Amino acid sequence: MLSLTGRGQAHTCDGITRRDFLQVGTLGAIGLSLPDLLAAKAQGAVAKNHDERAVIMIFNLGAPSQLDTFDMKPDAPAEIRGPFKPIKTNAPGLEISEIFPMHAQHADKFSLVRSCYHTAAAVHDTGHQMMQTGRLFTGGINTPHAGSALAYLRGRRSDLPPSVILPEPMGPTGGNLPHGQDAGFLGKAYDPFALMADPSKPAFKVPDLLPPPEIGEVRLERRRKLRSIVDETVNHFAGSDNAKLLDSNFEAAFRMMTSPQARAAFDLSKEPTEVRERYGMNRFGQCCLLSRRLIEAGVRFVTVNTFLTVFNEITWDIHGSNPFTSIEGMRNIVAPMYDQAYSALLEDLSRRGMLDSTLVCNLAEFGRTPRVNPAGGRDHWPQCWTVYFAGGGVKGGRVVGMSDRIGGVPAERPVDPPEILATIYHSLGLDLETKLPGPQGRPFPLVDSGKHEIRELF
Amino acid sequence: MIARLKHAGGTGFACGVLMLLASTARAEESIQLIPGQFTLAGAAARQSLILESFSGPNAVGQITAGAAFTSSDPKIVKIEEGVAIPVANGKASLTAAAGDRTATAEVTVRDMDKPFPWSFRNHVESILSKSGCNSGACHGALAGKKGFKLSLGAFDPTADYFSITRQARARRVVLSDPGRSLVLTKPSGAVPHKGGLRFTVDSPEYQVMAAWIASGAPAPQESDPRLNRLEILPAASVLKTGALQQLIVRAYFTDGHAEDVTRWAKFTSSNESVAQVGGLGLAQVIGHGEAAIKAWYLGWNVMATVSVGYENPLPAAAFAGAERRNFIDELVLAKLQNLNLPPSGTATDAEFLRRAFIDTIGLLPTVAESRAFLADRSPQKRDQLVDDLLARPEFVDYWAYKWSDLLLVNSEKLRPAAMWSYYQWIRNNVAANTPWNELARNLVTVTGSTLQNGAANFFVLHQDPPELAETISVAFLGMSINCAKCHNHPLEKWTNDQYYGMANLFARVRSKEGPGDGNHVIYSVTAGEWVQPRTGKAQPPRPLDGAAAPFEDEADRRVRLADWLTSPENPYFSRAITNRVWANFFGVGLVESVDDLRLTNPPSNAALFDAAAQYLVDHRYDVKALMRAILLSATYARSSQPVGANSNDQRFYSRYYPRRMMAEVLLDALSQVSGSASSFGDYAPGTRAVQLPDVSVNSYFLKTFGRPLRNITCECERTAQPSMVQVLHISNGDTINQKLAAKGNRLEQMLAANTPHEKIIEEAYLAALSRFPSDTEKSKLLAALGETKDTDPRQLIEDLYWSILSSKEFLFNH
Repeated sequence: MLSLTGRGQAHTCDGITRRDFLQVGTLGAIGLSLPDLLAAKAQGAVAKNHDERAVIMIFNLGAPSQLDTFDMKPDAPAEIRGPFKPIKTNAPGLEISEIFPMHAQHADKFSLVRSCYHTAAAVHDTGHQMMQTGRLFTGGINTPHAGSALAYLRGRRSDLPPSVILPEPMGPTGGNLPHGQDAGFLGKAYDPFALMADPSKPAFKVPDLLPPPEIGEVRLERRRKLRSIVDETVNHFAGSDNAKLLDSNFEAAFRMMTSPQARAAFDLSKEPTEVRERYGMNRFGQCCLLSRRLIEAGVRFVTVNTFLTVFNEITWDIHGSNPFTSIEGMRNIVAPMYDQAYSALLEDLSRRGMLDSTLVCNLAEFGRTPRVNPAGGRDHWPQCWTVYFAGGGVKGGRVVGMSDRIGGVPAERPVDPPEILATIYHSLGLDLETKLPGPQGRPFPLVDSGKHEIRELF
Repeated sequence: MIARLKHAGGTGFACGVLMLLASTARAEESIQLIPGQFTLAGAAARQSLILESFSGPNAVGQITAGAAFTSSDPKIVKIEEGVAIPVANGKASLTAAAGDRTATAEVTVRDMDKPFPWSFRNHVESILSKSGCNSGACHGALAGKKGFKLSLGAFDPTADYFSITRQARARRVVLSDPGRSLVLTKPSGAVPHKGGLRFTVDSPEYQVMAAWIASGAPAPQESDPRLNRLEILPAASVLKTGALQQLIVRAYFTDGHAEDVTRWAKFTSSNESVAQVGGLGLAQVIGHGEAAIKAWYLGWNVMATVSVGYENPLPAAAFAGAERRNFIDELVLAKLQNLNLPPSGTATDAEFLRRAFIDTIGLLPTVAESRAFLADRSPQKRDQLVDDLLARPEFVDYWAYKWSDLLLVNSEKLRPAAMWSYYQWIRNNVAANTPWNELARNLVTVTGSTLQNGAANFFVLHQDPPELAETISVAFLGMSINCAKCHNHPLEKWTNDQYYGMANLFARVRSKEGPGDGNHVIYSVTAGEWVQPRTGKAQPPRPLDGAAAPFEDEADRRVRLADWLTSPENPYFSRAITNRVWANFFGVGLVESVDDLRLTNPPSNAALFDAAAQYLVDHRYDVKALMRAILLSATYARSSQPVGANSNDQRFYSRYYPRRMMAEVLLDALSQVSGSASSFGDYAPGTRAVQLPDVSVNSYFLKTFGRPLRNITCECERTAQPSMVQVLHISNGDTINQKLAAKGNRLEQMLAANTPHEKIIEEAYLAALSRFPSDTEKSKLLAALGETKDTDPRQLIEDLYWSILSSKEFLFNH
């Protein structure tokens, strides 16, 4: 029987150590199974609210310019307002940049937060940490990605892993720091499953999900049996977390590869061509489509990295100088594919009746300098930027917070990264007071105490 | 004695942990008053006191209950609530009593007849720092906040003084009525402040600021006393979980006076799962292990080590009997004893053999090598193995690959001919075992054609002087100075001036196109400076804390850098390479991560780190000599099997830490065991992954198992953690399955020779695990193989091999 104390509500005095949790991880093979979950529910250890809810986190690596996208300042001087004009949307009074015409058709479904800010160093990596875990990594403590916290608290609900990253985890962005896309102190057993492939490629399949044809069920079973004999005689690894993790990875992988439902979820060829094309036949577009399929099949949290690094591809990181693009370049290269895929996702989720149960949040690590630089770009600016939310209980067509007249600092309702995470957890129905098992078993609050969801969104 | 603790308060690498280690004998119990001797200079001077228990030289806990402080002469110095307050010039002794034990401290009071000089540079700036006013979140932001900008962490007092006294129509200080100054009304909440309440009207912060304003708000002067030493007490303590320990921070100034600055220092813990620390320097012990408590004051950092041993002290015999082959064992065991961590036993011959092969040359032993080693009865066979491995040609492959990671050999950024030239330069140096200082000097001062002198490509990969300064620092000093590009480094002593002094060393390096594809000629010119943006002027060319050269000196500045870099007195240089080598063999660096050496990220065993780095210096930077010392140590030969509490140990080397083989080595091992080589594009058949010069070969296996991209010099580019993606690839991917199905591989040869299953199992174990299967393993496997009768015999053996190649024992180096 799995011990479930420590999950859900806080149990600060039960003496649970990290090692105990790791053992649970090993037994439970990365998250709880459905029966476990039911058992946990029966014990009241998992909040009953909104267990059906899921999250698609679109992380705009590189960091879009607030002034050229969702927080236009048409009355500001040219060196502030930049080259683009605002357009009206289908939400009264809400205007966004002309580079997102398809967003404009769906503004009734999403709401903007124009006053997000953080106070750490203006390198990409710090913002990645804070916006995905709610905290800056300090004191040797790496806090978990929201999807990992969810995986820990609610486990899996299908043969698919509870949390998935598409297409792969963030690569280098210059700061040499972790990006906050793993389970941190919860242990690698709660790391998200990373696809590691580009779903827009013609021959796309999940790498290695299926055994080669010559290895049928008989051989698969024989291999498992032989492996267990080889493995059982050596106990050198009791002190190695990585070795335990390897075991639980084997179990979870076996489960996924033997499940027809799981395999079908990744099969984009089951989608009609016009649907695939509506999302855009590019990496980001197909990742958005795949995220919808995965949520349908029982994944709880999908993180889509719009880009993978700021160095080897053109991204939102519009410094203007080489190898980065400029504000103008963003209009031509980045905006169209982004606009198309996001609008397709909202359309699709809404048509399938999934939007209420799926929070789509579009985040970034910071904003960009209000003043256009001499290279025709904008540089890093964590003092103020815009993020937005749709679905998952969020009301559309709203604007929360306001920046000053140059989009430089929040003028009203400043929102910091812990509040973003609190908003995600709130949509999922998680109690913000929930404690996670921190290093050495110390209870670690889901979000810093006193931080709440952005109530104006709901 | 406290005096013995003092050396830990400096800025160097010396650390109090040294003494902890020395105290292996039963230590004498005592109590001491801290600080044991001090001067109170001027009426405003204060010194808080703590009464501490000692066991030998180790502080072992603060005595608070029942501690009573008295002064021999309250007319000279009085004590209120544990704080010494000067009354009149003179000398007095203080006594602290707890039960029947007493401890004393000597105090001198002076300057009571002079006005106390409130200093902007030293007092006001430290209050602005401690109260968070000049933090990046507030007025220390690049753009300031609400029109008020301070330098981050008070690194520019002149600019701060100007902001405070001259800007905002001088409303920030009101000399005639200090209480109306915005710098007091805002933080104390008298008028609305976006940053909230920072201090109250009755706080020392408010009073010091007010006193400074009342004294005419004097400006920072060149003649101000400067901080020249920071001390933290007790610098090293051995505590138990739940313990509370007050720390005291003392600042020593150039004019000879010292102040208790505990209240103005900023504290952080390096390991919050061991100890946490509050804003006023009270540390609370949470768990087992070691934590370093950092105190920051006016741009200086100082560390106190808190060691928390595991419960259940082990008998000294548990350590006395452990083998000691060299200094590594002495110092590791001393640390383990201190933490009550038992050392694991000795690894078996088979384990040692496999481990030494993987760590030294990145290969598994062959079946024949394993058989020979296991059969060898010589007591010297392990030492002999070490010498053999260090001399093998595969050593060059493996270490050339490692250093190519470090120096970023990358054909995405270099033309093929240039990339090969760079790689060959590294390889030749590994083959010649060039001393590390020589290699670094040759790289840093290189001139000439990139095709003839491969090292010159370093200056093609990195061209901008700040980037060169940063990359040299990471590669050869193991530390990042990037923070100092915009402001003083918050975690190190490096200043913005030092950063640009370092960058300016590269201002005169030039490159021009030479004949041939990828040919650049690197040379040095005699004029040109790199401007520091903050001042608009160039800093004198200067290697971090080395001596500056005059601007007009026309000699290649990089020679000056190389002299400083490779000087035996440069503690960073020898430590950086020592840590990299150490981490290769033990999986965990003495400092983690390996390229994050800084004062505020202390090593897990400072004495060992000192000694290992010194060993390298003493051996003229012969990296192989250091490897040999490591390989011959009993510590390296320890079993990975945990005993007792040491299964929790991840940093002190009580056991060998099992870890997954690195991507390239794992792939080569798969080729070797299966007898089916990998193919890498245009490279000759049989080329191994660690023989590749760069990382351009497309390999799903290598990418998935964590091969770095070689974009930036950072160990963080490589990862060794298992993931489900790796497991799927092992199970279903085309790497193992294709190798097992390949024509003419080891499996096919065994089957062709009609080898019985028993022998096939034995050979597979020897090839993959470097050991014989046990009788139990053999019989269980034979039974399982015999279960399915009408199966293809080749498939059966493929499945056997798969089960071994997917096992932890194979995938891990242990």
